[in-house]
Amino acid sequence: MAKARSGGAGGADGLGRAVITVGPYDEPSQSTPVVEGYRQTALRAPAEPLIERPFTLSELTGPDRPERRLALLGTDLAGYGVERALGQLIEVRLRVLDEGGAPLSGALVEMWQANAAGRYIHPNDDDHAPVDPHFHGAARMTADASGCLSIRTIKPGAYPVPGSGRWWRPPHIHFSLWGRVWMSRLVTQMFFPGEPLNGQDRILHAVPDADARERLICRPRSPVDCPDDTLVFDHDIVVRGRRATPVA
Amino acid sequence: MANTMSEVRLPAAEMTVGPFFPPRYSDAGAHDLTCLDGQRARGEPIDIQGRVVQLDGAPTHNLIVEIWQADAAGIYAHPNDPRHIEADPNFFGWGRAATDADGRYALRTIRPGQTRDLDGTARAPHINVLVLFSGLMRQLHTVIYFPDDGGAKASDPIYRAVPAARRAGVVAVADAPGRYRFDIRLRGEGETPFFSLDGKGAR
Ligand SMILES: [Fe+3]
Repeated sequence: MAKARSGGAGGADGLGRAVITVGPYDEPSQSTPVVEGYRQTALRAPAEPLIERPFTLSELTGPDRPERRLALLGTDLAGYGVERALGQLIEVRLRVLDEGGAPLSGALVEMWQANAAGRYIHPNDDDHAPVDPHFHGAARMTADASGCLSIRTIKPGAYPVPGSGRWWRPPHIHFSLWGRVWMSRLVTQMFFPGEPLNGQDRILHAVPDADARERLICRPRSPVDCPDDTLVFDHDIVVRGRRATPVA
Repeated sequence: MANTMSEVRLPAAEMTVGPFFPPRYSDAGAHDLTCLDGQRARGEPIDIQGRVVQLDGAPTHNLIVEIWQADAAGIYAHPNDPRHIEADPNFFGWGRAATDADGRYALRTIRPGQTRDLDGTARAPHINVLVLFSGLMRQLHTVIYFPDDGGAKASDPIYRAVPAARRAGVVAVADAPGRYRFDIRLRGEGETPFFSLDGKGAR
């Protein structure tokens, strides 16, 4: 019954070549493991150099429809229509693509974020900012056939990082995604345009390449193109992996 | 849309999960791989438990361990595996666990079989491990091998890529029949071997 999603029709091609391949890592567009001023990175990132090795079948295969294990949690974080969460209502129109630019139909996406006051619903968050009882801040959903999904939520607030010496996280949303293979697994963050704190964020600036940082910032639509009560942001997330041969 | 298929895009930057990964993402029974939709997977159920510590030896809390593995016959349920048609339909192969305040995680799965790579190379039974945590800007990858695999590790190319002095760090310890311990040290003395999967490693 393990039927492939639309991107994975067929199998290895009989000559032992993979249907889905993974390109090499582009270092400058990826985060530096140890970040100055972010204390935990130096306690947790391995000190030994990572061991070089080739990909094997283990990395070029991966779970099919992980939502068979992880229940979907809906796409409306703002509680709209029931009791709306406090804050600026926004809609994030997300598109999930592979390295070849092909949309990842049915991709599973997890997302979590702080409320409008910068507070997470989480036992680890003991900040003084108020909890909003109508905002739980976590969703799990699948993309449609075009790799797209639309999430209604509240614009997250900034928050101070405890014990960090006046480092505030700018508004951001955490995303966790699955693609076609194990190497497609991605955890990243999305930022908002024009935020004064973006320029000082140690996590955003752990990415050396300016274009790569820019790709983590969502694009606002003109209010003229938005519903009455909502601001809309478009965002693309690219995960590793691509079809081995382009389809005709 | 043929031309959109040929463009090359760079994957987004990996970033830390941060300290607030939702607890509800880890409590959905995703740590038990022996059943799928109420049906039992083929093969021998095994428990894998361990403790994860950081540089100063402090336990890690709310660290996420995800695994991906082949079924009891060594087949991955994915079209890239030439044998995937024969994969156990009741074995999902993927699971997730979070560490508690003492840094402990627990997974229940099926002992994986020997996998066969695309070029025919045999791989010793193994479980692929991915670690996500606050302060880890990139996900970490390691592999769990078994102490009782009849010597299969010795010819496994990925096991052999680990410097000999560090190989014990990728082998689980047998605690009891069907029960293994796999501790992880993120950094420092006795650091767990982690792999680069940047795609540049020699084939
Ligand atoms: Fe955050």
